[in-house]
Amino acid sequence: MIAARRRVPSAVSARSLAYASSPLLASKTPPWRSRFLVVMVALGFLALLGRAVYVQIVASDFYLAQGERRFVHTYDVPASRGRIIDRNGLILATSVASNTVYLNLKQYSATPQQRRELLRLLGMSGTEFDERLDTRLTEVVLKRQLGDDAWRQIRALGVKGLRAEPGYTRSYPEGEAAAHVVGFTDIRERGQEGVELAFEKDLEGRDGQRGIMRDGVGRVIDDYIEAIDPEHGREIQLSIDTKVQFFAYQRVRDAVLEHKAKAGSAVVIDVVTGEVLALANYPSYQPAQRGSLNRGQFSDAARNRALTDVFEPGSVMKPFVAAWALESRRVRPNTVINTSSFSVGGKPIRDTHPHDAMTVAEIIQRSSNIGAARLAMQMEPRELWELYSNVGFGQRPQIEFPGAVSGRLRPYKNWKPVDQSRLAFGYGLSASLLQMARAYTVFARDGEIVPVTMLRQEQPVQGVRVLSPQVARDVRKMLQLVTETGGTATRAQALGYSVGGKTGTAYAQDGADYAGNKYRAWFVGMAPMTQPRVVVAVMIDQPSVGGHFGGDVAAPVFSQVVQQTLRLLGVPPDLEVRRQIVAESVAQAAPDPAGGR
Amino acid sequence: MKRLHVVLLLALIFSCLALVQTSYESRRLFDETNRARNELARLDAEAQRLEAERQAQATHLRVEKLAREKLAMRTVTPAVTHFVVDAAAEAGK
Repeated sequence: MIAARRRVPSAVSARSLAYASSPLLASKTPPWRSRFLVVMVALGFLALLGRAVYVQIVASDFYLAQGERRFVHTYDVPASRGRIIDRNGLILATSVASNTVYLNLKQYSATPQQRRELLRLLGMSGTEFDERLDTRLTEVVLKRQLGDDAWRQIRALGVKGLRAEPGYTRSYPEGEAAAHVVGFTDIRERGQEGVELAFEKDLEGRDGQRGIMRDGVGRVIDDYIEAIDPEHGREIQLSIDTKVQFFAYQRVRDAVLEHKAKAGSAVVIDVVTGEVLALANYPSYQPAQRGSLNRGQFSDAARNRALTDVFEPGSVMKPFVAAWALESRRVRPNTVINTSSFSVGGKPIRDTHPHDAMTVAEIIQRSSNIGAARLAMQMEPRELWELYSNVGFGQRPQIEFPGAVSGRLRPYKNWKPVDQSRLAFGYGLSASLLQMARAYTVFARDGEIVPVTMLRQEQPVQGVRVLSPQVARDVRKMLQLVTETGGTATRAQALGYSVGGKTGTAYAQDGADYAGNKYRAWFVGMAPMTQPRVVVAVMIDQPSVGGHFGGDVAAPVFSQVVQQTLRLLGVPPDLEVRRQIVAESVAQAAPDPAGGR
Repeated sequence: MKRLHVVLLLALIFSCLALVQTSYESRRLFDETNRARNELARLDAEAQRLEAERQAQATHLRVEKLAREKLAMRTVTPAVTHFVVDAAAEAGK
């Protein structure tokens, strides 16, 4: 049997291999077939090996990159813009998380019910929505600056094709009251106006970056690159006190509405530190909802009139002329000056209430053009120019704010005598309200002018001496007379505090000429007079009802702002006040001159 | 020798399993920290938003309007303020 079994393979070996011992199963396979198979399998392995070499060595970079793309995810971490806060830490501007919602038009599908809900949450009308969708783009921005809550609700609707990108939106809690100071940003959060623009470099942050690896189910499993943390913007603390700012804004607004004026502004400066406590303008706007105004309305509302509008200061300049006449010892406060009408260069100078003679103090108290011109004509043009220039006229205020203008003060070499006489009562030069307020710190600080700042300042600031302390005090007494009986601004009196200042009224310029029936009224003053703490400047543009003089229109605003500001700063009253705590008289708590003076 | 090999093989297998377990654990923890960090950022942003909203609800403009209209209050003036002298502070001067 064994012999037979052995014999069989040997018998067939010449033609085929025997794969089975049973002759029934012995197929007569030709040997080339098996070799062919062996070769094919070997070739197969070789191909695999070749591919492995290609994948692992030759094209490994490509495959590594492809692999990474499937599990590595790199993205920017947005940095938030710095906050703007007031002197007490209250927020004036801050960034809040928001989303930009995109819609992919190819994937979009929604039931009528979903669409209705979506429109409601987006706050859009049906036509507005359809207009957005009417485009050839595959993806459109549906809504910017959408809050997190709204986005969560939208996502829950299950509308296909929606996605959101996180970002930040600027929020301005104080709204219109501080709009001109704070300014606003564009949709990319870049400062466009006000402090937002002035401190853009500090406020803007730098985005960070993260590279992460995800596993098959999308969980973050590791950092792929070292994460770069976002650098958030720096916080800016302003000198503004939101309470003072609010009072100033409110009073200016009320005065503008009451007198049916075109606009108004107020500036409050702390004379000890040079800080701007308030800078208010009316009309104003809501920084976060400025889209609702058209271009004309917006440019009118957005104008920071206190800084960018210049006008002829008028009578506000007279105290400077008087101060220099005292400083140069040409006159004393009680020196009598001839104030009968006279002409310079053929042009007569007139007063509304003419007198033949007045003392220097009366010239200020009654705001005599003739008296001021007489004093100025005694001076060299250079002296007057230097004085004006030293108190900041014709120079851009050194303030961290965009758009602050320099006003105009022509070089004295070009002055004619008529120019010099007119400069004495504030015509022929121009200045902004802030410049005037700052100039008056000379009187408030015993002869020193302070640099003004919009940033919080802890320490008292060093001023630049322009006048001697005695002269400044003398002029202060004259300014106080202006607000007392016989002066031009009795309505500037504040309850409990002694005040002083100067009114101004001028024809508003209409193009290159003066408009005959349009006025600008203002009042610049300080309080309390024993040791002034604040300088307040108020300007009302084109009042049309209830008078147009600075003393009637601007002085009451000054009075109220001063009163509230000093109370907020904790300055004790320096005048006796008649108590009005009886309920009936509280209803009429108007300034009562008989009360304290 | 053979026994040593078996021990080493077992140790190797155990070490491999431990490695798998540790890396799984580390990934799980990383995911958790990541989530926590995202939550922190979200809550931070939420706090910012709420603070801004709170202040927007309590601006001086709004408070004044409500006080005047709803509560019939009026602004304090020195005429309706009673100033008192702090005896201790006066004595210390």
